[in-house]
Amino acid sequence: MDNSQSPGALDDLKVVELPMLDPMPFFAASMAGKSMADLGAEVIKVEPPQTGAQDRHFGPVGRGGPELETRALHLFLDCNKLSVTLDIGNAKGRDLLMRILAGADVVFNPNPPALNDRLGLGWRALCDRFPRLIVVSTTFFGTDSRYRDFRGGDLVATQMSGVGFETPFNQVTDPPNQPPLKAAERQADYLTGYTAGTATMVALQGRKRSGRGQHVDVSQWLAMVSTIRVNVGELTHDSPKSGMHRRLFVRRKTNAGWIYPCQDGFISFRTSPGNFWEGAVRMLGTPQWTQEPIFATETLRLKNSDALDALLTSWFMEHTKEDIFERAQRHGVPCFPLYNVREVAENRQYKARDFFQDCEHPVAGRFKIPGPPYIMSRTPGRIRRPAPRLGEHNVMIFCERLGIGRNELDAMQSQGVI
Amino acid sequence: MNELPLAGIRVADFGWIFAVPHTTSWLGALGADVIRIESPKRPDLVRFLGGTDGKIGINRSGLFHSINFSKRSIALDLTNAAGAEVARRLVGISDIAIENFGTGVMTRFGLDYENLRAVKPDIIMMSGTPLGQTGPLSGAIGYGPNSLAFSGISHLTGYPGGEPSGIGGTWPDFVVGVVMAMGVLAALHYRDRTGQGQYLDLSIAEMVTGMLPEAMLDFFLNGREQNPIGNRDPDIAPHGVFPVAGDDRWIAIVTVSDAEFASLCEVLEAPRLCADPRFQTMAARLQNVAELERELGELTRRFEAGDLIAKLRARGIATGPTYNTAELLADPAMVESGMNVEVDHQEVGRRVIPGLPVAFSAFRPNYFGGPALGQHTDEVLTQVLGYSAAEVARLRESGAVL
Repeated sequence: MDNSQSPGALDDLKVVELPMLDPMPFFAASMAGKSMADLGAEVIKVEPPQTGAQDRHFGPVGRGGPELETRALHLFLDCNKLSVTLDIGNAKGRDLLMRILAGADVVFNPNPPALNDRLGLGWRALCDRFPRLIVVSTTFFGTDSRYRDFRGGDLVATQMSGVGFETPFNQVTDPPNQPPLKAAERQADYLTGYTAGTATMVALQGRKRSGRGQHVDVSQWLAMVSTIRVNVGELTHDSPKSGMHRRLFVRRKTNAGWIYPCQDGFISFRTSPGNFWEGAVRMLGTPQWTQEPIFATETLRLKNSDALDALLTSWFMEHTKEDIFERAQRHGVPCFPLYNVREVAENRQYKARDFFQDCEHPVAGRFKIPGPPYIMSRTPGRIRRPAPRLGEHNVMIFCERLGIGRNELDAMQSQGVI
Repeated sequence: MNELPLAGIRVADFGWIFAVPHTTSWLGALGADVIRIESPKRPDLVRFLGGTDGKIGINRSGLFHSINFSKRSIALDLTNAAGAEVARRLVGISDIAIENFGTGVMTRFGLDYENLRAVKPDIIMMSGTPLGQTGPLSGAIGYGPNSLAFSGISHLTGYPGGEPSGIGGTWPDFVVGVVMAMGVLAALHYRDRTGQGQYLDLSIAEMVTGMLPEAMLDFFLNGREQNPIGNRDPDIAPHGVFPVAGDDRWIAIVTVSDAEFASLCEVLEAPRLCADPRFQTMAARLQNVAELERELGELTRRFEAGDLIAKLRARGIATGPTYNTAELLADPAMVESGMNVEVDHQEVGRRVIPGLPVAFSAFRPNYFGGPALGQHTDEVLTQVLGYSAAEVARLRESGAVL
């Protein structure tokens, strides 16, 4: 599909993304910026001079040039953004930042409230100065929390939310040697970024009515808590059955986390609720054991799940994941093959949908990156420009837009302001 | 306080299970009039997950209430032509239609995008499915946690050298919920500017893969195939969850510099660890991370969780306990967060449910309790859709309205 000319849903918006000044990696603001940049918003990424933003310092390193330009997180998260360098710790730098914010609709700020207050970048100060600006704090614990000065991050938020307590899911057989786990990569950061993106869209709707911006306070901890919300509901209504004991399902060793082993790897498979069991029986060719009274009802199947899972597994071990996937789906049973990275990269479904998009970067060369999380029929998200080189848009923003002379720019550069 | 930001927006909610109900509770709490279409003939199975006070019932599920607040419920049979017509009439006066049935189900009901666009040209419609609406595997069915297998995250989540792991919190359903909310609101923003609606197609597996940029770009840039690394970070050590005193008690600890590691060693009263050449620099700690974690674990287990966390926080080190849900709700910062809200429910009365994880300075969300099945059928059909009481009675008799 040629989307090269299609408009973006957020073409009219100008967003500023401030750098995380703490060394703790935290990519929520960067993901929030990306979620809007992919939909067409102009996102100016403000980066510390010389070193650049955190995205340039974490993740695998690509080929072809200095690490600052070829780190995977930078190439992915900063795609479609503009880069300016600015020392927001310096008064002159903050002055320039204020001039950028005067033309912005949204600012994402990942820094803790105490630091922001010291720099005059607290949300109240910004909201007062720019009444139409939507000021979005993406912090570890929220700007109002008694924990606001504590450091968190992906691992801490995962553990303090209760998600870590349930991970690995239903697979804990030896607790002392199986510490609570986090999901791969930086899920808490990215979820926080998407939560901030969503909340920003809400505040934009509010601004259409009131003419005013506001402060949106996004806490990484609470964003993660939001994903265990059904446990909360269970706890406040009833005596809870899940989420309280890591070892609750210890005896269910085989379908742990909905995952079963098979001949060439693993699959994800469900036989409940009951209508899926009927499909599973047909898929297996209605062997005699499926008709045993101990498997007659859903309650009995759950009670006898060790026996059931052992029988299922012995059948799975004779079949490949693609074969089981195809058969299960034919009989209406929820099942997917469990793919490694290469299989994800090469699967035919993503290919048919052009999910991985071609990116041409002046330093890192040609490579593919994952596309946006949904396809919009009229305003598809797409790659407009590769991740910017550090300070690539200084002249465009400072000189052409703010009217700063080239000599002044050079002077500020030599003073380390930009 | 200002008017709610989504006041005047109407949502025809065809969602069920976890993801879309979560999306529409966001929209409802922010002021949209969310009307959820349910069928007593094929009720949302979440209505039977958990009960209240030991009793299971269709209007008694705490799980359901935690993801269905701030919306109304009408009971329609969409397999009945007249029932589907009522739904189309609702879409005709809605801004957003949203669903997460298997692909093709809405088409069978005559409620696919083309049909909805015929009754409401600028409708915004969004669908969420495991693998998306197009492509050779678009028909594949599964729950969110099934889709994780296809996305690569199951392969990458697990202990180093270990087997693939499932993820807590019914991951990724509640991520999907938030992302779908952003999608429809972005489309609403575009419609406000241009008058044009559109269709949005979310593939759960693609969304999750899009949250694995390091593994995917390492493959595309370098041809490397990553495997699970547990709680570790490729650039930071220690970055782990360590045992503390008691049975199965744990806390997370992360130090991002040599100075912070030295502070950690001081708190743990283990200066020898800091002086050990295996652990002196970040590079050395990454090199010897398994030994480092073993040694740290022997030290941390001598401390009570609360005591060690307080000491580490006083030094500015990132740390926190592994909570279960009951412990989480007892945390004073959680209590003060405003996220636990008390609302009324028709059958089970006043209960605490988790609200939105975000605070807005200009307004407070509007929370009201999750509906009983069909609680608002008459009210919506007569007051919103303009049916007469006699017409509603006829629809009910024919089985279109339940």
